[in-house]
Amino acid sequence: MIKSYIRDIEYYLPENVENNNVEDRLTDKIGIYSRPIALKNETASDLAVMAAEKLFLETKFNRQDVDFIIFCTQSPDYLLPTTACLIQSKLGIPSSCGAFDFNLGCSGYIYGLSLAKGLVETGSARHILLLTGDTYSKYTNENDRSVRVLFGDAATATLISGIEAQEDFIGPFVFGTDGQGANNLIVPAGGHKEPITEESKVEVEDQFGNIRSRANLYMNGPEIFNFTLREIPATIHRLLDISNKNLTEYDLFVFHQANKYMLEHLRKKLKLDVEKFPIDLGNYGNTVSSTIPIVLKNQLRQNRIEKNDLLMLVGFGVGYSWAGCNVRWNK
Amino acid sequence: MTVKEFIAKFEQDVVFVPEGTLTRETVLDTLDDWDSMATVATIALVDENLGIQLNGDQLLSCKTVGDLIGLLNHQLED
Repeated sequence: MIKSYIRDIEYYLPENVENNNVEDRLTDKIGIYSRPIALKNETASDLAVMAAEKLFLETKFNRQDVDFIIFCTQSPDYLLPTTACLIQSKLGIPSSCGAFDFNLGCSGYIYGLSLAKGLVETGSARHILLLTGDTYSKYTNENDRSVRVLFGDAATATLISGIEAQEDFIGPFVFGTDGQGANNLIVPAGGHKEPITEESKVEVEDQFGNIRSRANLYMNGPEIFNFTLREIPATIHRLLDISNKNLTEYDLFVFHQANKYMLEHLRKKLKLDVEKFPIDLGNYGNTVSSTIPIVLKNQLRQNRIEKNDLLMLVGFGVGYSWAGCNVRWNK
Repeated sequence: MTVKEFIAKFEQDVVFVPEGTLTRETVLDTLDDWDSMATVATIALVDENLGIQLNGDQLLSCKTVGDLIGLLNHQLED
């Protein structure tokens, strides 16, 4: 049987960087010291193209063999056409490939893996280029401390291929969705529900002195935290159940890197080993669907993942949307 | 967890003031570090020590330390 596996990962960070104030107590708590920020004319697709070019350069994989491009983004170049189509053209991937965008945030990478697995294991595609990329900096208000200090811009490129095998390398998956949480992490204006008007740009100050307009990203931190505490432990237990595993069998837990404070709290609550739970966002911030692949790449660079290691990936956030999956490392 | 213990942890881990600074009458908005991160820290404090989840909006509607304790009344010992 053909089984999909993660072949390689690369990431790209914009060169321009914003530093968090080291004198602010918040900085240590969230564990974010600097964040890459795209330039005005740099979009998520530009970052994704750079990540893909890096991948082709480092792995020497022949881009002519890529037959599917999947781009996870909430910062598309246009409403239409599909940004993945533009990426196909920029990368010079054969026009016989498939390509599409999907709109998810912090849970995106895991959903992307499930899509890639589906295509490869049904024989519909052979080599998937899964890209993630976002520029949340273009949504956050510079004077909104509740979000500005958290988010960074980045893109990643993952190559997923198939190989003859008996056991899964990617999967099983558990998914979760709760639209009740929509208003807790949202850019209210700019879509069709609330088109942009002059009103949308009016900046308002909240009770903590943060400034934002309807066209800016709004996040209800406490509610998101509550959502995480409520759903993530249960999701993990579902995954353990369907994969018939227990926590001690895992070599690494890679969670979506929202902020150090929340991750540490989750880790303690779940009683996970510090060494198996990387917290790696000091120089990136929350890069949305890129956080998980960035951590994976850094772990690989540090030789902390070996062949046959069992990984648990867990992503959660905007939507609300969440997902978890197992990955058996195959390289 | 007693009310006293809760206040002590709140002083130490949430609003970063010297032990014994806060009274039930203290108005939260007057504290420098009572911000959105502090509300998250409070939720974490309550989750870790009492195993319950505070509603974010209820938390934000608290004016004084006393209001906050009121939210947890049934869970804290005197």
